[in-house]
Amino acid sequence: MRHLLHAARWILLLQLLLVAGFAHGARSVSVISAQTNYQVEVLSHDGVEYVGLTDLLEPLGRVESHVEGNRVRFLFNGAEAVFEQGNTQCRVRSTRVDLPASFLLQDGRGYIPLASVGVLLPKLAELTAEMHPASRRIFVGIASIRYTAELRTSPSRMVLSFSAPVNPSTYMEKNRVRLLFRREPVVGGTASKLTYSDPFVRGVTFNESAAGAEVAVQVAQPATVTVGDGGRTLTISPAQAAAAPGATSPVAPPDAVSNPGQQVAPVAPPAVKIARGKAFVMLDAAHGGADAGAASSPAEKLLTLALARRVQRELEAKGISVVLARASDVALSFDQRAAAANVARVSLYVAIHLSPEGHGARVYSTLLPPATLAEQDRRAFLPWDLAQAPYLERSAQAAVAVAGALNSAGVTARNSAVALRPLNSVTAPAIAVEFAPLDGGAAELATPVYQQKVASALAVAIATLRGRWEEAQ
Amino acid sequence: MISRKLQVFTVLLVLVILAMAGYFVHLKRKAEAIASPQLQQALVAPVNGPAETTLLFLPNDEDGTLRATSVTLALPSDSGERARLALHTLIARGMEKDSPHPYGAGADVHDVFLMDPNSAVVNLNQSLVAGQHPGIQNEQLTLYSMVLTLKAQLPQLARVRFLVEGKSAETLAGHVALSDWMDVAQVQQSAPIAH
Ligand SMILES: [Zn+2]
Repeated sequence: MRHLLHAARWILLLQLLLVAGFAHGARSVSVISAQTNYQVEVLSHDGVEYVGLTDLLEPLGRVESHVEGNRVRFLFNGAEAVFEQGNTQCRVRSTRVDLPASFLLQDGRGYIPLASVGVLLPKLAELTAEMHPASRRIFVGIASIRYTAELRTSPSRMVLSFSAPVNPSTYMEKNRVRLLFRREPVVGGTASKLTYSDPFVRGVTFNESAAGAEVAVQVAQPATVTVGDGGRTLTISPAQAAAAPGATSPVAPPDAVSNPGQQVAPVAPPAVKIARGKAFVMLDAAHGGADAGAASSPAEKLLTLALARRVQRELEAKGISVVLARASDVALSFDQRAAAANVARVSLYVAIHLSPEGHGARVYSTLLPPATLAEQDRRAFLPWDLAQAPYLERSAQAAVAVAGALNSAGVTARNSAVALRPLNSVTAPAIAVEFAPLDGGAAELATPVYQQKVASALAVAIATLRGRWEEAQ
Repeated sequence: MISRKLQVFTVLLVLVILAMAGYFVHLKRKAEAIASPQLQQALVAPVNGPAETTLLFLPNDEDGTLRATSVTLALPSDSGERARLALHTLIARGMEKDSPHPYGAGADVHDVFLMDPNSAVVNLNQSLVAGQHPGIQNEQLTLYSMVLTLKAQLPQLARVRFLVEGKSAETLAGHVALSDWMDVAQVQQSAPIAH
């Protein structure tokens, strides 16, 4: 009877989740930029889909909006756009722009047709915006990644070449290898389905959904995936061929094939390399959206964001480039945070937390269970949950170094290790810093004096770490 | 004219109602008293074995440490039950007034399953999770205090897995991961133990 009740509860919960998922999926678009990703709600009006201008642009920069009668004057990072209720023309940086449908003003908020985002964003924000209607995703400021699929023979193998390095989630299934690109703007070629009369490769399909872009390779026997050219090529070959001496290392052992849905991430070299032309550090303001974090006042999610912004300013003033995992109060899953860090190919990931309890700062690296790691030792691909494995030592060293530098900068700090999400899935040295009051009570956390003190101390600590790594290089 | 019988009946009815109301208030007070942490203390550790000395690792949110404290408990011979009682006592300590690491009302451990001498699965109750203060340090202290207290009971213990109401959970309260085994040696190495 208890079991029955339990089952009924779960079924109800699943139904609720499904309904919520559909409702959400139908009424929103995902915006993915180099700095952040977030959902924007879509409003349907007279059969046209609209998005709120503020919702769309706030996570990307400084936004101001002034409503004067039926006109809206909108400023994004100082650039001006003027819209008029019911008008299909608007003015952006003093040039006229035609909209596919009229501008909408509702409850003092301005809405633009969803279809106009691709035109307006480049003009207003000087950012490229690429719409992927099938998956309801908008890529902002990121160039599409194209790929070619080439069948090679003796032995038969499929070589996928990408225009930029990729790091998909790989699912080994019976007769199929699925490569899922969650945050990478991979676009399909001319045909979404290719078929071959090869003994090993039967076909390649391309698909885009809200989960991301997916390339699936149909195979006649168990396959392995190997990564080459710094992540630009993925080769799918028969498992036996790959196991032969002199061949590249197999991605998944044959036993993984019987385990559909197993997610794997590529093993990256353990050495810390500071990638040129990439942001050095991702600052991840922990929590957001419905996840408020610790019960401080204001909520931890808001304090972390304010602090991350301050640290960003401090670091940029020192010439160190930064990406933020989130730039507004949005909910991001642990996987989305890790994926964002991995796609941005940062050299360091720092999660920022604040806690009203205790004193000073605590700096953590994550722990991965050695038994689970040992099972993975033989494999060339690590499961997503263990992607941090090659960086554990560097992360622990980074935690010690950052705690030391914080102490020197006048913020009492100590370091420790504990299993933390999403650090376990980050393919770079990764630490989490939890800041507690210094000499006052919990109210101190929200004061500008406190925030500035810990922000500049953390920025100095990160800069010191970078300096050390550069020396080592 | 109201009959005398009816008058007597009405008076009796009013008396019964008043008595029931009084009894209800009494029951409510009693229920509140049972729910209070002080009384829960008294229910801890049933005496069903010889008194033994064991170590509890008590968390302190203020300085972020764990303090080894020796206590004398009457523990049963079954090792799973012994382990559960040790954790129960550890949590009960945290429910005392002015505790440096408070737990939510009703926080407890349902069971400790020993898979083999090396592996223990700890089944936490929902009240413990609901009352957990979110934060890396807070969550680390809750979990590490249990792992170290178990290790003191079970010298061969190598790994511990935490479940919530019998189910695997992603994190304890949004920070520390519960999705995999915790390695006891790693915990011993990284636990902030006060000396
Ligand atoms: Zn937090």
